[in-house]
Amino acid sequence: MRQLLQIRGLRKQYGKHMAVDGVDLNVNRGEIVVIMGPSGCGKSTMIRCINRLTEPDAGEILLDGKSILNLDDQALREFRRTVGFVFQQFNLIARLSVLDNVMFHLVMAGIPRVQAEARARNALARVGLAGSEHKNPGSLSGGEQQRVGIARALASNPQLMLWDEPTASLDPILIGEVLDVMEELVQTTNTTSIIVTHEVGFALKVADRIILMDKGKIVEEGSPKAIFADPKSEVGRKYRRLIAS
Amino acid sequence: MLRFFRDGLYRDYLILILVTIIAGAAVSSGIAWAVDSYFGDTIQDMIGDNGEYDLILHIRETSEEATLRELERIAQQQYPGAAVAKTISLAGQANYLFGFPQEAKTAATFSRLPSIFNAVPGLSSYTVIVEPSVLIRGVHPSVSDTLQQRFNQIDGVKFAFKDGKNMLIVLESADHSKTVMNEARQILKEYQVLEVRFPMGIDVDVQATGDTVMQLLKQEYPKTELVNVSSAEYGEELDALMKTLVEMRHFLLSYASKVKIQLRAGSNLVVGEQILVQGSSSQALVPGEAAAPDHVVIEILEVTGDQAQGMIVSGSVAAQGGAVTQPGYKYASDNKVGQPVGQVQIENERYRLNYAIEESLRLLTELDELSVEAAVAVERADQVLTTFQEALMQLEVLQVQMQQLNKGLVENGVQSTGEQLIVSLFLNGLLKNIAKGGTETPGEFDLDQLENLDIASMRSSLSNIAEQIGSIQGIDVQAIIDQITDIRDSLPELDDEEIGKSVHLVDNYIAGQVIPGERIQILVEHGPIDEEAVEPLIRSRLKNQYLNLYSIAAGTVNPDTRTEVFRILKEVRATIAGIVSIAVVGIFLMLDHATVFSTLKWFRANQKQRRRGFARLLNPVVLFSAVVGMVILAATYVLSNAAIPYISAMTVAAIGLGLGIVIGTFSEKFSPVRADEIMAGLALGLSNTQIMHEIVIPDSRPGLLNLLNRTKQKF
Repeated sequence: MRQLLQIRGLRKQYGKHMAVDGVDLNVNRGEIVVIMGPSGCGKSTMIRCINRLTEPDAGEILLDGKSILNLDDQALREFRRTVGFVFQQFNLIARLSVLDNVMFHLVMAGIPRVQAEARARNALARVGLAGSEHKNPGSLSGGEQQRVGIARALASNPQLMLWDEPTASLDPILIGEVLDVMEELVQTTNTTSIIVTHEVGFALKVADRIILMDKGKIVEEGSPKAIFADPKSEVGRKYRRLIAS
Repeated sequence: MLRFFRDGLYRDYLILILVTIIAGAAVSSGIAWAVDSYFGDTIQDMIGDNGEYDLILHIRETSEEATLRELERIAQQQYPGAAVAKTISLAGQANYLFGFPQEAKTAATFSRLPSIFNAVPGLSSYTVIVEPSVLIRGVHPSVSDTLQQRFNQIDGVKFAFKDGKNMLIVLESADHSKTVMNEARQILKEYQVLEVRFPMGIDVDVQATGDTVMQLLKQEYPKTELVNVSSAEYGEELDALMKTLVEMRHFLLSYASKVKIQLRAGSNLVVGEQILVQGSSSQALVPGEAAAPDHVVIEILEVTGDQAQGMIVSGSVAAQGGAVTQPGYKYASDNKVGQPVGQVQIENERYRLNYAIEESLRLLTELDELSVEAAVAVERADQVLTTFQEALMQLEVLQVQMQQLNKGLVENGVQSTGEQLIVSLFLNGLLKNIAKGGTETPGEFDLDQLENLDIASMRSSLSNIAEQIGSIQGIDVQAIIDQITDIRDSLPELDDEEIGKSVHLVDNYIAGQVIPGERIQILVEHGPIDEEAVEPLIRSRLKNQYLNLYSIAAGTVNPDTRTEVFRILKEVRATIAGIVSIAVVGIFLMLDHATVFSTLKWFRANQKQRRRGFARLLNPVVLFSAVVGMVILAATYVLSNAAIPYISAMTVAAIGLGLGIVIGTFSEKFSPVRADEIMAGLALGLSNTQIMHEIVIPDSRPGLLNLLNRTKQKF
């Protein structure tokens, strides 16, 4: 299986706090990698460094063998268009309708409006929001808003999907509908996904590989069964206890 | 930070700056023009069209109807064709415009304006607004006739006339205004008034000292013509007024009750402080308690050692006969009685003066009556003296007869009869009684002593007394009484409180004025004389280091009233434009540019670079906003033709800089950005320009930025 993403010695420091401390990670094309770990362990920082929403201090990130840290502005924007990003807080444009939220970056990228709208409608249908195109995001539930966010990421047919704790800001009732959509999507598409989540059950179901992080470092990685059956790290053991309870 | 603008956004921002400048200048100019236009129209309504009216007559509103009748009468009878119109009323004064017919617009007419309008009821004053004209202000009276003649000779001048201390040059047309003003300035430059001013209290022989000064000036500037014009009336009214006020103050203080305070140790009274005495109040002064309205309030005028002097500013001691000694207390600001300050002695000179006048009147009345009675007494004494003299003569005759009788008795001896004896005894007794102290010898009592009385001298003395009484009666005592009564009646009926208020009033007026000392004025022709160079020489020659030398222009050229008003309006317009520029630029910076500054700050906060040293202290976005504010305000200010008095171009630039710093520093408060939406834009591969066009600007406050963005916004 060919590698899509290679991360070498990634570091990011905020003041005296080392958020990401020398992370090395390889992700294969089509692989679904779930990153787990306690809050503040550097999961979100690492995933944001991948599309340079957060600029790393050191290290190397290669996509298809090309460094993304040396990209100029134009190349960086083109790279970002190939990477879907789902935010924890949805980050929808409040003044735009659901449909415009999903299609407007396609239009900005130069895709004809008709074509962009068709792709947006298709993406919305895939997340179960057909018929909500003209609604205002503010009138939707949290789960629906996150599904709009997912549709927006999917609409550009990304080669890599980055999910930054997509259910973290939802109440438990709404988490299920989002997880169902996510599960459906990652299993039916061949898109490489890196998912940061605390949802152990979801990870067990969909992950090809689980990576456990603690204090900015990867402390353990492996298949879901291997990780939770015989955890080597303290974080792994805690997750195991969580599953057992 | 510049990276943010790199993908084409700089063009948009430059356009925004340009539009801000143009819009700011347009708004500032527009508002200033509107105000200018409004005031211009108002003035046009107030003083009519150019040349239509020549005078504004200021009338008391209460006399309006009579005024109008009189003005219409003047217009119909004296100046047929004259125009009369009412204009605005201000502060209880109505204003009427009066325009003479063309043929009456002459020097003669304008020179006798007071006599033309002196019968107008309620006329307070008038303002000459004849147009087109050039106004020469502050014409020195010593040169006014000469100037009038010379102004009359200028081409384009119809005539010149004096209007108080000013002179108006009436032009044939407004086209001559500039040339006449220039020529008038040239003429005025030929004259100079040098004023040597001495300090107060120095007596100066104006003529002799003036000659000395002129002699000196002539030595230094032989080509000049010099005239001593010290006696010109220029400014003397003020001097006289000030001197009168000083004298009045002196009189009032002399007339007021004398207040002397023997201070207690540690009283610490200062000049201007107030103290209380009980006066005739029934309420005693108790420290800490409130002062009564009839307590006497004294203001301290002078403090010397343990003595102080003061003046009553409230209350009176008249009830105590004009003199009282009582303890005094400090007067606290909350109307409370303070601590004792000492013994206060008040003597009412006014009361004493009144008393003395009353006594003098009584004396004079008594003296008048006394002189009449004395004349009668002298006359009676004279009669008594005459009677006495006659009686004495008869006594002498009687004495002779008795002596003869005695002699007969003695000679006849025993031959005398009993009747003769009885008569002799009776006569001897009588003579003794009359002569008192005469000889005991019967028939030999001595009348010499009575004869020795100097009746003539006594009569002469009586005559002298009568003459003196006559002289006294010749004095017109009644006239003296009448005059003294007049003096008594004419004394100001001011109590101490009123005197105190009057003194304060005079002090307040004097405080705002400079009491001029003696001065000498020299009119200089074919000068000028450098007063700074000459001043030390004059000081040396007159041996007075404290005198000052001033150079006064013979007059200053001003445009006519309308031109002056419109010049002021132009200044007002420029000032309004300046103020509006600052306000408008501030608003534009707040509404539009703050959005850009906030976005720049967000991007800077999310940049990778670590900042060291100065960059950590100074946010380049704030520096950028300061420069933007300075550029926009400076350009707007210049384009809108703004000019705020006393504010230089550098100050305007500094204000712009300040505005930029404030808006830059607090940009997130004025125009917050949605960080999550910008983050989404970045993640979706949007350029900075696209983020601004589609995310930041549409969400910002309505303004120029939003308006300009409409054409670029796709969603």
